[in-house]
Amino acid sequence: MVELDKRGVFAALVCSTPFEQLARMLAARLGMPDLPLMVIQHPLGGLAPEKVGERADALAASCIELLKRHRR
Amino acid sequence: MTLRSTLLDAPDACIEAADNFEALNALYLERGWSDGLPIVPPSEERVERMLAYWDRAWDVPIARIPPRWGEATPLRLAANAVMAGCRPESFPLVALAIEAMCDESFNLYGIQTTTHQCAPLAIVNGPIGRELAINCGHNAFGPGWQSNATIGRAIRLALVNIGGGIPGAGDMSTFGSPAKYSYCVAENEAASPWEPLHVERGFPAETTTVTVIGAEGPHNVNDHESVTGKGILRMIASTMMIPGANDATLGGGEPVIVLGPEHAATIAADGYTKADVKQYLYEHAQIPYGHFSDEYIERRLEQRFPGRLEASGPKAAVPMANRPEDLMIVVVGGAGKHSAFIPTFGTTRAVTRPLRRADGEIARSVSELRRA
Repeated sequence: MVELDKRGVFAALVCSTPFEQLARMLAARLGMPDLPLMVIQHPLGGLAPEKVGERADALAASCIELLKRHRR
Repeated sequence: MTLRSTLLDAPDACIEAADNFEALNALYLERGWSDGLPIVPPSEERVERMLAYWDRAWDVPIARIPPRWGEATPLRLAANAVMAGCRPESFPLVALAIEAMCDESFNLYGIQTTTHQCAPLAIVNGPIGRELAINCGHNAFGPGWQSNATIGRAIRLALVNIGGGIPGAGDMSTFGSPAKYSYCVAENEAASPWEPLHVERGFPAETTTVTVIGAEGPHNVNDHESVTGKGILRMIASTMMIPGANDATLGGGEPVIVLGPEHAATIAADGYTKADVKQYLYEHAQIPYGHFSDEYIERRLEQRFPGRLEASGPKAAVPMANRPEDLMIVVVGGAGKHSAFIPTFGTTRAVTRPLRRADGEIARSVSELRRA
């Protein structure tokens, strides 16, 4: 994610609640403390594909907003 | 350069605290600098003594440990080795193991942060393992031997304190594992009928090496009944077939078959070389698709092996390694009709590093590493 950003690729990280602390610590250590991070309710794994699709649909707009804010 | 000046030059490198064992241990627990067991306070004098067998600079990082990517300087590693109760003579192997597991192919970032329960296993080969009395016999994976317990513990403390593998924050393992306290053994080379692991991996026998493997704990194979090599191998192969192991679901790792000396002797007496053992186990440790759920087949196995189910039908199966050569064979343990299987994290390669002196020559005794 950090490497993608360095290469100019628009990217945001979606992580579930238990992994937020790890994601923020790692982003800070890799020089990207303002990492565009979307924290979602855990778990995502173990869901049927249609449920994953529903979660993605619900989050898509806010993910785009997050990217826009990061690029300003 | 003195240790004192090094410490003073590094901001936040030292803390002042009362010279009181209980109070210091309470402080270390409060700050999360411990594995939960009491630590030996890493005073300046003790850290300096720990570096007695380090013939290189103390402040030059030998690696960066993920996920915090903290710099593993010998000084920091020595502080963790003191905390773990290591003897100074063991310190070069602690540093070597850390250096090995920071090789990119090992994928330490994944191993430290995963929800899986893997831990780096350090297998020592060669003369300095014997010099340091690293247990390779009875109870080698268990308690009772200072070198095994403290080298493994020093590695763990470095992974936590330098690498940030803090349970629930940097180490996201769902369960953790007893192997995360300490996981270090030597191969029982004297009891092996074959060439030892480090020779197989390209090093001269007189070299001391550490091989690190991102591994689960050992799974026992009890076989008091088979009297042939084939019989024992059949039992081991069947025990290896674990549908929920990463080696089955991800592949790419080098799972370890730990042969007890008695099993190894029977297998070798029937004419099997190490390569034969690997070939047999690769061919017979194949998990039928019927052992996996329909969703698992669709979402995982069909991605990994496209078309296999359609091509092979009921005979479709999943191997426990990508190829026979990826199965690692070591001989460890004492008397008894037992062997063990150690699955891995899957997306990891074992790394073997030789113990060298500062001048690049192979160290034949730990005394050669003593600081002048």
